[in-house]
Amino acid sequence: MNILAIETTEAKASVALINEKGEVSLEASDEKMNHLQNLIPIIDALLKKRELSIDDINYVAVSEGPGSFTGIRIGVASARALAQALGVKTIAVPTLQSFLYHAYDYNGIICPIFDARRNQVYSGAYQWVRNEFPEKSKNEYLSSKKFQSSYKELVAGDAYDLPQLLEKLRTVLLEESNERMTSEVTFFGDGIIPYKKQIIDWQNSSLNDNIRVLFADDDIRLQNASSVARMALEYYREGKIKSLYDLKPAYMRKAEAERKLEEKS
Amino acid sequence: MKDNKLITLGIETSCDETSAAVILEEREVLSNVIASQIKVHQAFGGVVPEIASRHHLNNINPVIDQALKEADITLKDVDLIGVTSGPGLVGALLIGLATAKSMAYVLKKPLIGVHHIQGHISAIYIEHKELEPPFLALVVSGGHTSIVDVTDYNSYTVLGSTRDDAAGEAFDKVARVLGLGYPGGPLIDEAAKKGNPHAVEFKRVFLEKGSLDFSFSGIKTGVLNHLNTEKLKGNQINVNDIAASFQLSVIEVLVGKTIMAAERTKRDKVVIAGGVAANSLLRDMMKDECERKGFSLYFPSPILCTDNAAMIGCAAYYKYKSGLEDNFFLDAYPNMAL
Repeated sequence: MNILAIETTEAKASVALINEKGEVSLEASDEKMNHLQNLIPIIDALLKKRELSIDDINYVAVSEGPGSFTGIRIGVASARALAQALGVKTIAVPTLQSFLYHAYDYNGIICPIFDARRNQVYSGAYQWVRNEFPEKSKNEYLSSKKFQSSYKELVAGDAYDLPQLLEKLRTVLLEESNERMTSEVTFFGDGIIPYKKQIIDWQNSSLNDNIRVLFADDDIRLQNASSVARMALEYYREGKIKSLYDLKPAYMRKAEAERKLEEKS
Repeated sequence: MKDNKLITLGIETSCDETSAAVILEEREVLSNVIASQIKVHQAFGGVVPEIASRHHLNNINPVIDQALKEADITLKDVDLIGVTSGPGLVGALLIGLATAKSMAYVLKKPLIGVHHIQGHISAIYIEHKELEPPFLALVVSGGHTSIVDVTDYNSYTVLGSTRDDAAGEAFDKVARVLGLGYPGGPLIDEAAKKGNPHAVEFKRVFLEKGSLDFSFSGIKTGVLNHLNTEKLKGNQINVNDIAASFQLSVIEVLVGKTIMAAERTKRDKVVIAGGVAANSLLRDMMKDECERKGFSLYFPSPILCTDNAAMIGCAAYYKYKSGLEDNFFLDAYPNMAL
């Protein structure tokens, strides 16, 4: 069983293959914002590296968004057409949650922030819940059939103004934290660049002295098809499989013209 | 393959129609499915690129399924895939392209990017099975206004183009000003039938002497100015008269320049293609002029005038036969030249 995973929601495209054992291989494009041109060539390069053909693919997974509208559409359109031509089913991986797999041995809160322009970020906050196998090594942990993706959603994925997001984070952290325990939040995503200072200021404000903020290292900061593949494998095990006709983008925002029309009426 | 003949799958998503078609060999249309988004964009008074892109993505796979079903084939029977690669709305184009590329990759079949205008011209091959190049073509739609000397199936010389708005765009803008709605082409055509085309003499813009280029941006302003002046005078506006007068001013220029181009290139066959080719006055006036000059006139039936994938499939076939195949790096070219 092989799953092909596609990630095109950010500036750089990547694709990954994962098998039942959880073995992942990745191929990424070096070019920015050139997904339409590069996607099929990097899929082809990845398959050749693994000595596989596209006909060996049993499921096509895609990072469904949020992110760049155009990027999401290239990924979803390609995934749907690959699935249609192969006669296989698809797996829709929520892009924000896929960051859990960037840090599967992390106990703190994972908060991806994507620059959504108009002073907003697409964001959500998630945390692994450890009830089984916490002592096992990463690979064993991920390949175990008994492993259930167990995480909690602290802030639901949506488009937020940054202060609004931080306020939500603070509220849930206060509810979650028992007594004087410090909560750790690690931010991921391309929103770090424009918003890092604001986030640090927020942490330093007196209200938040039991919140510790970290920023993911450059090499694991952005979207990555390996994590999409890992989450897709988990979805496959849980039976979260879709017909290509039900594979839809998760834009998390209406088209500008639609929003304006609604405002008028 | 079907009965030893090549099968082309055509895909078109350059503006607001999601279309897929199956073509047998050169010119036989086995299916031509078009999902129009006109109703979606009506609320906005014109095509909204982001919304068009979203709808293309929702529609494309079921539209392809329907085209295959109507042609009574499966994807495995497809021998080549042709797709519009430009010009058009980039977000719209890339839905068709990402789909076509992915399918061609899985099926291991040739991929052919098609210029949208070459597609419109090829619609005439489907309509008139005997027609062959060379001929002179006027391609006129919401996005394009060009006079093209078609010397062979894959050989074109653009003799003139619009320097600003396309003719169809002028129809849309004036229809909006007149409160007729969207899309403007058919609405103005209808209103004009009930109006006096000589009620108002709007300026015909012929540009420099002998030029085969067009300019339609001034006409909208002309109509607006006229409406304002009449309003100030307290006069009643007759929408039908203005629609008819505006339409005549555009069509006279289109016909005049096309005939001039045919004479200059010594072509005796004239083709009109594109959405505005469905305009009844354009058809009638061009017919009269061609008869007067002894030219034969060809135009596609209305369904082939609109954006559709059959014309793209047909154009792709002729490109394929000439060895013009693309690779998987094929991109969307929103401002592609012919």
